[in-house]
Amino acid sequence: MRSEDVARLLPTGVRNAILAVLLLIVLGPLAYMAIASVSSDLAVARGALWPDGFHIDNYARIWSTTNLGRGLVNSLLVAGAVAVVSAFVALLSAYVLVRYAFRGRIAVLRSLLALQSIPGTLLLLPVFVLFAGAATALGVTIIGTRWAVLVTYLTFALPFSTWVMVTYLRELPPELDEAARVDGASPWRVLTRVIAPLSWPGLVVSGVFAFLLGWNDVLFASVLTNPDTRTAAVELQIFGASQEGGALPVYGQLMAAALVCAVPVVALYLVFQRYLVAGLTTGGVR
Amino acid sequence: MRKHTSATRQGRPLWMFLPGGLLTLVVIVVPLALALYISLLDLDQYSIREWVGAEFIGFENYVEAVRDSHLPHAITISLGYSALVTLGCLPLGLAAAVATQDRFKGRGLVRSALLIPYVLPAFVVGSTWRIILQPDGIANRLLGTEGLWLNGPRSFWALVIVQLWAGWPLVYLLAAAGLQSMDTTVHEAAALDGAGHWAKLRHVVLPQLRGPVSLGLVISFLHNVNSFTLPFVLFGVPSPYDVEVLPVLTYVESFQNFEFGLSVAMAVVSLILVAIPMAVYLRAVRLDTERGQK
Amino acid sequence: MDRRKLVALAGAIVLGTALTACGSDDSGGAAGDNSGVTLTMLMGVNNIYPEQQRQWFDEVSAKFKQETGATVRFETFASANDELTKIQTSVVSGQGPDVYALGTTFTPTAYATGAFVELKKEDWDKVGGRDRFLPATLGISGPDKDHEVGVPFASRPFVMAYNKEMLAAAGIDKPADSWDGLRDQAKQLTKDGAYGLAIGYADGFDPWKFIWAMTIQAGAPVVKDGKAALDGPDTKRAYESYLGWLATDKVVDPAAVGWKNAQAIAAFGAGKAAFLPMVSASSKVTLDKSTVAGKYAYAVMPTIPPGATSLPGGGVAATSILSGDNVVVAKYSKHKDLSLALVKLLTGEEMQTSYYKTFGELPTNQAAATALGADPALAAIVESAGKSVNTPFTGGWGQVQLALTNVVVQSIPDLSAGRVDDAKLSGLLGQAQTTAQEALDKAK
Repeated sequence: MRSEDVARLLPTGVRNAILAVLLLIVLGPLAYMAIASVSSDLAVARGALWPDGFHIDNYARIWSTTNLGRGLVNSLLVAGAVAVVSAFVALLSAYVLVRYAFRGRIAVLRSLLALQSIPGTLLLLPVFVLFAGAATALGVTIIGTRWAVLVTYLTFALPFSTWVMVTYLRELPPELDEAARVDGASPWRVLTRVIAPLSWPGLVVSGVFAFLLGWNDVLFASVLTNPDTRTAAVELQIFGASQEGGALPVYGQLMAAALVCAVPVVALYLVFQRYLVAGLTTGGVR
Repeated sequence: MRKHTSATRQGRPLWMFLPGGLLTLVVIVVPLALALYISLLDLDQYSIREWVGAEFIGFENYVEAVRDSHLPHAITISLGYSALVTLGCLPLGLAAAVATQDRFKGRGLVRSALLIPYVLPAFVVGSTWRIILQPDGIANRLLGTEGLWLNGPRSFWALVIVQLWAGWPLVYLLAAAGLQSMDTTVHEAAALDGAGHWAKLRHVVLPQLRGPVSLGLVISFLHNVNSFTLPFVLFGVPSPYDVEVLPVLTYVESFQNFEFGLSVAMAVVSLILVAIPMAVYLRAVRLDTERGQK
Repeated sequence: MDRRKLVALAGAIVLGTALTACGSDDSGGAAGDNSGVTLTMLMGVNNIYPEQQRQWFDEVSAKFKQETGATVRFETFASANDELTKIQTSVVSGQGPDVYALGTTFTPTAYATGAFVELKKEDWDKVGGRDRFLPATLGISGPDKDHEVGVPFASRPFVMAYNKEMLAAAGIDKPADSWDGLRDQAKQLTKDGAYGLAIGYADGFDPWKFIWAMTIQAGAPVVKDGKAALDGPDTKRAYESYLGWLATDKVVDPAAVGWKNAQAIAAFGAGKAAFLPMVSASSKVTLDKSTVAGKYAYAVMPTIPPGATSLPGGGVAATSILSGDNVVVAKYSKHKDLSLALVKLLTGEEMQTSYYKTFGELPTNQAAATALGADPALAAIVESAGKSVNTPFTGGWGQVQLALTNVVVQSIPDLSAGRVDDAKLSGLLGQAQTTAQEALDKAK
């Protein structure tokens, strides 16, 4: 047995068979999306497998039938900011959780998972009321601005982001920052100069998941934004919902718009795919 | 096995908790408390304008939710389908993780492709499958079946299939990460023992993945129980009886029927139900012991 | 943890009180300097004429600025769900659009919240007087004449489109005036791959309108004087008739179990159905671009209930629900008079006429409606407008509507299997009755 074969988990044939089945499951519906996006609306409605022509103009028309362009810009701004800020805030919390002992630490760690069990539908109205109340009390506008959704997504992303950072930081040898601390560096300095540069994979994973949350939410964005600040997901949802009122739904354009909305997140994953697996060390859960 | 000195108590920069803690307090804890309070009010369209003054009715909403609403049915559906989806994620996720662990040409591309369903917005997934599954749609054409997927008994399975399609990559991702961080020496040990592929997988590799995979399953379960957009887009409202899941039920109570108090009470009941398996899991996992245990 | 919750709760209550305290403020008159003031109006998105709607928004805004100095900003909602969510969040927070255009059946819900301005005599005067409107369109503005919140803005009565060529080929000279007659004609017309009727069974809003019409024609409306009658024999017969078209009469394409209204229109437009009941004038745009352009006409829907050959005693020959849009002004608006001025502009003869010309929705303004006069293409629609009957004005109506629709949704599997299960239908109606009655009992 050659040494590189030692680590092999599966015979090549079995592996290829598994991958073929999985790829078929995953790519089949995606391929259908792509086909539908260049089909005529009638062909999609009929359930035709092949397009009756190549209606690439669906991709051109979505920009005038919807405000997707502005939505994409809003989404990029909001989700991008959420990704960066939540990764950093999560790093702060995780650092304390991993490196320092304090009362309630276990409770906080548990709540990182527990908080994820709260349904969004439960918080929707209270969050709205709170923002509206705060806006009135402070004399500022909150609802309708990008800040409203930014803060909401940021917070919803934190439990998972922090969790990821906790598991990641656990794997970093404490000798690293202990040495720095002995030299008299403040925790802030240790964190920014020693820990953060070593945590890129973890930060990327946190950021990517947070981005995803901000990019995909419809529920909160639909009440917290106004026409100028709507995210792409809301624009898409509105486009879809408005198709049920009048003429034959423009399925082709709907699928084209859906694919356009999916491209940024998929691209993000492609770029950071390597980090994703490396960053999710999951070392702490056994 | 590495062992590190335990966490220190000196010079704790607890202020670093402030940003995360404050945000969580304002955007999650306070609204949650507010929601709990609302669940004790007779809050509906007649009282919403001055909701602070809505009549306090104690646990009446809870009584109504359990006795007179579709809540018990919705709980059965939600828990049932979530459990099925979560179970389905297991073989898919493990198979994918194991199959993409060995190096081969194009591995990066395959890994990325497998993750795509997970990153697609739920709204996109829902609209696409809605078109695929319509009576005249492509699913019936390819499968040679007839009739309904979006209503009737088959709709339950439609929900399971679509949610599974969209959700399994998370388990895959966590399992793959687990494999990655696994000690390579176990392979050598297995090779020395002359263990075959299957024996190695069964007795050496899979047991080591228990941690990450069960975390993936728990997150997946929670995600399914709370998933609103997908069933909403897929089936619409009023939802067909077989797919009347909890989030959609609470959404309809609250945003169509204006029964806020009742709706929130329902959501709280479901939260409690989810909290039970959650608590069991949290007790079982050693989240908080020494760092860097390998 | 407990202490934190307590603090949070206290904080929330403080915020809440702060918020209700800052409710209604000054309402400066429409006259004077309004530059810098921006009103917001919420309206349904018009997906048939998206471009024209945007132009219309600009036009209104420009005109309003010219008249008052203030600007109007339009927000749109895409679906009834969005609409309800938006109303709620605005009502609960006391901030949001100043003026709303609501579907008529939502007006009772909006009234029930108490968050919209009840129009007193002087308010009506500010919108140009109550008598500028067609009396019939005021039927769902409020529970009674003294408590009205909705100002009629557009009228959208339901009618039925029919394929003239298919009817002529079958030797039918005009659509039947009874539902049974329509069914028989549909049977005659179901052949060669075409069906008699196009129905959107999976639509979220259409189904209940059929049931409502049939029961009110039978003299047993689903809601009367705060009492629900969803489990009565006439309601059941209405459902049997409506579901039977597909299940037992086979005069509807079996695929219609998954159709929304849009797909029913598309089927009719493709020449695959002879009758298309329950559409408004807005379907004209789609149909005029379809293969049946020039080959179809509108007629009022049957007014004789299923199982009858003439209108029974107590029955009302309703052709449609009173349908269209009402405009309401939010109480929390800081610009009440300006809002009323906007409503005045929107319901004036000029705007009403141009609105009709652009979007095909009938005017509610008396003068505009009269000027429109006797356009023969509109005959059926105008007739239906005159014979429309308002749905009951109760805060529980939304739930009744949902309960009615739910019966259809849950019957779809049976429908698809080609049957209407009697016991199951009775069971569903029993449940719907309980839900509806509970909602009506809660109405205040």
